[in-house]
Amino acid sequence: MSTYKLYYFNSRGRAEVSRLIFAAAGQKYEDIRYNQDEWPSHKTEMPLGQMPALEFNSTKLPQSKSIARFLAKQFHLAGRDNLEQAKVDAVIDTIDDLIPKLISIFFEQDETKKEELRKKYFDEELPKHFQNLNVLLKEFGNGGPFFVGNHLTWADLYFYDLSETLLGMNGNCLETYPRLKQNREEVEKQPKIAEYLNNRPKTPF
Amino acid sequence: MSDSDIKFYYFNLQARGELTRLIFAAAGRSYEDIRFGFDTWPEYKPKMILGQCPVLEFADGTQIPQSLTVARYAAREAGLAGSDNLESAKIDAVVDTQRDINEVFYGKVFFEKDEAKKAEEMEKFLTETLVKHVENLGKLKKAYSTNESYFVGDKLSWADLFVFQSIQVLLKAVPEVQGKFGDQFKSLFDAINGNDKLKAYLDARPETDF
Repeated sequence: MSTYKLYYFNSRGRAEVSRLIFAAAGQKYEDIRYNQDEWPSHKTEMPLGQMPALEFNSTKLPQSKSIARFLAKQFHLAGRDNLEQAKVDAVIDTIDDLIPKLISIFFEQDETKKEELRKKYFDEELPKHFQNLNVLLKEFGNGGPFFVGNHLTWADLYFYDLSETLLGMNGNCLETYPRLKQNREEVEKQPKIAEYLNNRPKTPF
Repeated sequence: MSDSDIKFYYFNLQARGELTRLIFAAAGRSYEDIRFGFDTWPEYKPKMILGQCPVLEFADGTQIPQSLTVARYAAREAGLAGSDNLESAKIDAVVDTQRDINEVFYGKVFFEKDEAKKAEEMEKFLTETLVKHVENLGKLKKAYSTNESYFVGDKLSWADLFVFQSIQVLLKAVPEVQGKFGDQFKSLFDAINGNDKLKAYLDARPETDF
């Protein structure tokens, strides 16, 4: 029987999509969370001195998306054939396009500049990528609420997690995107995911 | 299955398109290699699923966007993406690691207009970022490789092609990388140049700006 250990900080960050995949699959794993004090002493145990890292049996994997894709494939949440997997990957990459300018906001120290960046992000940057996601949902979704093939894949889980962070910054950001909003609602309705969301540690990000 | 009913749309550049072209070359898979300039791009843009390229288009009109997604698809079809899920994941991890560096290089160095800032960022890239990256690649290779020439397992994968392409571009843009790090990549370059299909492709591919 295979064993899974996921190493990360006590936050959602770049590990939560993997935790959501484990939850959706009903797969047991060790959810190891290091706080800032403990982390330095474990750094050299990780393949690239970074987290998240996944230990699958005796192999360690770095890189959050690679980890998530591996897990999704293990548990049949990655798309049913090569073409579907490519559609899922394309949605993942398009969700990722939301991240670079978002990170710039977090790193900005000056409060006025920070607010400017935040406004610009929600007025200009986010609509661009949400519109792209609308297109992909329409083209790949086979008419259903999920991004690809009318069934749950890790693309839906990845969007769920990032949109949670976005909603935390701007509670209205999904209002003019009904299909994306519906996609989130479908994810939340999945029984195993609902249970996980109810019980997981609450962290600000 | 190999037919020119698959179309690859990209600029007449290497940049974000060349990896997929290398994968098709290694696989001996024929495809329509559609290339355009910045001047003719406006004619293609509305036909692309997200108004961006590269795009892979199938005979029924289905389009896949996003450069690494297209490359991963092509690699899987070609048997260059690992022999099981774990191997695929190791390959993905090497690809992600190389991608992180490419983004830093292009984002902070290559396209920097301000000469002074560019020099500063280049220095940092060469003395810190690239040093760490070569170390990281070495660590992954040590953990995943069973053959000196390849990053994962004992045969060619798209991770080897991506690192090869990225380092080749870096060498062209920053010749002093050869002296500092050339040795580290010798076995990789030998393996790529020793592959008949790839050598033929590399010898024949068009010269492009980048």
